[in-house]
Amino acid sequence: MKILVPVKRVCDPDNANKVKVSDDGSSVTSDGLEWKPNPFDEYAVEAGLRLNENAPKNEKLGETVVVSFGASDVVQTMRQTLAMGADRGILVQADDAELDSMVVARALKSLVDAEQPDLVLMGKQAVDGDSNAAGQMLAEMLGWPMATFAMNIATDDGGKTLTVGREVDTGVLTLKVTLPAVVTVDLRIVAPDAVSNGVTPADHKYNDGARYASLKGIMQAKKKKIDQKKLGDLGIDTGLTTTYPKFELPPARTGSCEFVETVDELVDKLHNEAKVL
Amino acid sequence: MIEWSEQHLAARDAFRRFIDAEIRPNIEDFEHNGVPPYDVLRKLIATFGIGEMQVASFRARLDKERAIAAGEAEPEADKGARGGSGAADAAAMQNLLVIELSRVCPGMVTAMGVSQGLCVGTLNSRGTLDQRAKYVPELLTMEKVGAWAITEPGSGSDAFGSMMSTCRRDGDGYVLNGSKTFITNGPYADTVIFICKLDDGDTPPDKRQVLSFILDRGMEGLTQSRPLRKMGQHSSPTGELFLEDVRVGPERLLGESEKLSYRSGARDTFSSERSGTSSIALGIVQECMELSIDYARNRVQFGQPIGQFQLIQQKLAKMEVARMNIQNMIFRQIELRKQGKGMSFAEASACKLYSAQACMEVALEAVQLFGGNGYMAEYRVEQLCRDAKVLQIYAGTDEIQTSQIARDLLAE
Repeated sequence: MKILVPVKRVCDPDNANKVKVSDDGSSVTSDGLEWKPNPFDEYAVEAGLRLNENAPKNEKLGETVVVSFGASDVVQTMRQTLAMGADRGILVQADDAELDSMVVARALKSLVDAEQPDLVLMGKQAVDGDSNAAGQMLAEMLGWPMATFAMNIATDDGGKTLTVGREVDTGVLTLKVTLPAVVTVDLRIVAPDAVSNGVTPADHKYNDGARYASLKGIMQAKKKKIDQKKLGDLGIDTGLTTTYPKFELPPARTGSCEFVETVDELVDKLHNEAKVL
Repeated sequence: MIEWSEQHLAARDAFRRFIDAEIRPNIEDFEHNGVPPYDVLRKLIATFGIGEMQVASFRARLDKERAIAAGEAEPEADKGARGGSGAADAAAMQNLLVIELSRVCPGMVTAMGVSQGLCVGTLNSRGTLDQRAKYVPELLTMEKVGAWAITEPGSGSDAFGSMMSTCRRDGDGYVLNGSKTFITNGPYADTVIFICKLDDGDTPPDKRQVLSFILDRGMEGLTQSRPLRKMGQHSSPTGELFLEDVRVGPERLLGESEKLSYRSGARDTFSSERSGTSSIALGIVQECMELSIDYARNRVQFGQPIGQFQLIQQKLAKMEVARMNIQNMIFRQIELRKQGKGMSFAEASACKLYSAQACMEVALEAVQLFGGNGYMAEYRVEQLCRDAKVLQIYAGTDEIQTSQIARDLLAE
């Protein structure tokens, strides 16, 4: 099947201590940050690749296209997913300030109209904004069925439907969606047996997690095509529906550490001093 | 080449991710609990498709050589086509793998380098087509572990002169005797290149032909010792080998000819071994430097971060100079590969000498910068400092490098 996977570039959480707020509090500055694909989007790429391959034979069964938004250097992050095995990319050039979940969903809809994929597979949310909204908005705009927080996916009916296990508070809710559809994934989608496409043998065990790009994959990624489009050329409403009036950093931690002798003392402190119990 | 390309950095990041997930959390096991490095190295090689790629290119090259040996003309396009950007990229990525591994476990690089570099390199440069086809592929994927045995209790820098190990003719085969020490991978090796002198009963020891043989683990008369305790590089198992009347057929004589003296080709082996040392040094230097910068920023004494003190700044500046120099030496190696060339023996020696000394100096300065913490095993610089020392000893000591550089300069 043809799968479209939106991938957002986020700052590397390991370097999160470098996040700074501009002096007037109007924005978060990205100077000096290191970038990586949003982990949930990387899991969506992994799930897409698993759906689209006969793993033991290393054969492709369909096309996996990654989509990203941002400045032209976002292609570096996109190449990481191409090195994992995605076939090509589309970069919509835009400033971060021009984007919110709604604008992204509208832009994705216009790309879906042009590309006609069978499935849009997304991370459940980006780890920077934590909005968890673009997937749901896109499904609504397209009028397509949707399954969020997917922890497993299996193709059925000769690839016409997907059975998706959704990770919800009470357990796993299993649904069947007819393609084309929008599915957003949670972290367990990269468990060794989370994805089944009816072609890769059921006893094939994937490594846990998103795959590493092989050296061959890294070398091939350079030659894979990344189409660049401008947000303004997509013919969509680019009006923002979310704005951020002010940013501020959380108060610095005091870093004090105190050892207590008994459980009673601990409970007392948690209750009366920290007031968390 | 003046910097890593975007592609090289993508490979570096992927290696780093693997190493951070698979090796860093288990460093205690590899360094102190005697867990051999081979399973994780095998996984690394498989994960990145390195073994698969190397085996494919090895088989292609072997087929070509077979065709040429059978009388076919070498295609014009192949003549002198050893370089190119493909070869340079492959060299860059191999260097980056070594650098990244060396930041965490330099010993693992030693274990891998001896198996895939020295053992495979020797098989490729001296073995017959059949010997190579039989032994090399499994060594490239590390399904089998290789060792290269030259050093003996009484022969180190004077490797050939003092060598006592012997082979004697026995029917159409040979009987091997001798003991080897400081053999990387010795305790676990499946395939051993054993270097010895041909004792024909007449020739005096200093004139004897030096030959090499391919041995398998478990052969009668071959004993592989347990790992020796050493100062550093604990993730690289080092051992002794004892040979008592090991009988081998002529098919185990490397090159299957007594005329192929080991003395003549040893320089090539040494040269590649030496140039590889720079990448290990760079990994250790980079890790020491990053840890030191972080410590200098955050360690507060006398009311300010110690990075504010000029004596600490001087240490950091020296580290940066070493890092730049070693990296530039590696870039030169890669650039030479692009042109299908290699370093001269003296140049490789000069790079090895500088890299090893600079690395040791940086690691000692890092321990000093960390003060009491630097002396504690809990802080990473302690291990890196112990690991660095061997770079000045193995693959030719600093003193041997120095004399060889000078000999080359004075040669008329």
